[in-house]
Amino acid sequence: MQLNNKTIVGLQNEAKEIRRTVLSMIVSAHASHIAPSYSIVELLVYLYGYVLQINPKKPLDTNRDRFLLSKGWGISALYTVLARKRFFSEKKLKEYCTDGSKLIGIATFNGTPGIEASTGSIGHGLPLGIGMALGMRLQSIKKKVYVLMGDGEIDEGTTWESALIASHHKLSNLIAIIDYNKWQSFGRTNEVLNLEPLAAKWKAFGWNVLEIDGHDFQEIADAFASVAQEKSRPSMIIAHTIKGKGLSAIEDKNDYHYKTPREAELAVAKKEGLL
Amino acid sequence: MKQAFIETLEKLMRENKNIITITADMGYSVFESIQKKFPKRFFNTGITEQSSTSIAAGLALMGHEVYFYAQAPFITMRNFEQVRLDLAYNNLNVKLIGTNAGVSLNQLGVSHFAVEDVAVMRLLPNFTVFTPGSPKEMSQCMQKAHLIKGPTYLRFTKGGPEEIKGLPLIDGIDGVFFVSGALLKTAYEIVSSLKKKNIHLSLYSVPIVSPFNRKQFVKQAQNLPLFTLEEHSVIGGLGTIISEVVVDLRMKNTVTKFGLEHKFIHVTGSIDYLLKANGIDAKKIQATIVRQLKK
Repeated sequence: MQLNNKTIVGLQNEAKEIRRTVLSMIVSAHASHIAPSYSIVELLVYLYGYVLQINPKKPLDTNRDRFLLSKGWGISALYTVLARKRFFSEKKLKEYCTDGSKLIGIATFNGTPGIEASTGSIGHGLPLGIGMALGMRLQSIKKKVYVLMGDGEIDEGTTWESALIASHHKLSNLIAIIDYNKWQSFGRTNEVLNLEPLAAKWKAFGWNVLEIDGHDFQEIADAFASVAQEKSRPSMIIAHTIKGKGLSAIEDKNDYHYKTPREAELAVAKKEGLL
Repeated sequence: MKQAFIETLEKLMRENKNIITITADMGYSVFESIQKKFPKRFFNTGITEQSSTSIAAGLALMGHEVYFYAQAPFITMRNFEQVRLDLAYNNLNVKLIGTNAGVSLNQLGVSHFAVEDVAVMRLLPNFTVFTPGSPKEMSQCMQKAHLIKGPTYLRFTKGGPEEIKGLPLIDGIDGVFFVSGALLKTAYEIVSSLKKKNIHLSLYSVPIVSPFNRKQFVKQAQNLPLFTLEEHSVIGGLGTIISEVVVDLRMKNTVTKFGLEHKFIHVTGSIDYLLKANGIDAKKIQATIVRQLKK
């Protein structure tokens, strides 16, 4: 699908507005996980703008796509997107990580509209998605399951169990995306536990594999258009991303998996239009 | 017991088209008939207990009632984190069936024993834990689990193939014996033998250990000495549950727990040998009860 310049600029502006909201949520709650939320913004914007068939007014309608944020610690970005799409009020975002709020800092299945399951304990999203995809097939629901995973997350054994199972059952209605920002909890992914050759691994497991720039809307659009045509295999979109993308002071710095941006970073954020 | 399980599951699957059965590659000579009769609703997901638990959760999120079958240690402890989050927290309609619980796989040793499974599963909110002691109880437990629209765990051991008529025994004047699981038969023999010595115990089977029916228990316990028996660690199972209730409700009863001692078993042997050598010796249990009641 060819996006025109106007559309791309519109999507980029939306991504920026989301990052602005996420920053205010994170700072106000003195919360962690800004960088892994920033790396998935373009993917979420495109998914909720053009791909996912989910009616915010009927978020539990049986005949809907399912989206699982398996990297549930990127939740501030997802809450923001859900609020902008009117799954719930944007005012509610102010509650993020405050006393008694259901807007918890990890995706939690507690009645928040648009959250399909508790994820973020890593390695849960893909097998949950397999169950959903099998259920859709059994019930002849012609929709798809999308699972967005972290790169460090796929160290977990359940990822590779699931890689076998989804392929064995030819789950063409399952689309997984890896936010490949090359950082995990304690260091670079290739230094902690090397994932490479990542695409070759998924291909060897029998998946339809695409590699894209996870911040480039045209590449994202092409990838989702392509996997929609797949008829016999699960699909894996390996999205190369930058942790902290969008705020230069935190880009590609793993500290901001944990740290809340403070004065120095916020000064840069102001300069870059995020405050 | 296994036969009662499979017959009840088959009946439930026949009557309820949304039921799915998953096995983590277990069930040789158990599931062939179900696989044949319901090929679209039976999945062997391979030896993947962790992923299979999440897959069961995904199916339940799509509205299915899911029965997931594997060896008791692997369906509760290998995948406990998935059980806790995906099934218990999300409160999903998944029925875990743990076969060969206790020391059923006597020749295989500690890797294949499940003597802590009741203890860990009863910790989880939303879960109902079943420990049927006979084919009839198996069928009843399966029917009850089906009616619960949430997560359940049913564990069963080898043994307990016969029905015991005349249960429960409710006329005990010297004490009350509570048993969970297939040791029901052993408990019945102990109670019958004590009767000949003029010691009269009531005998109740407890096929649902959690949530525990406190109201019914208080009526059954009266103010008599209590004894418990289970093919499980003496820590965390029926004995602990009853002890907790007695303390919580400030009851005056004494509680004596019989079960597997709190230690690993390093040897192999017959089931009878392993039970006897590790705390479940019918003669010693009788002697202990006699001693306790003479105090």
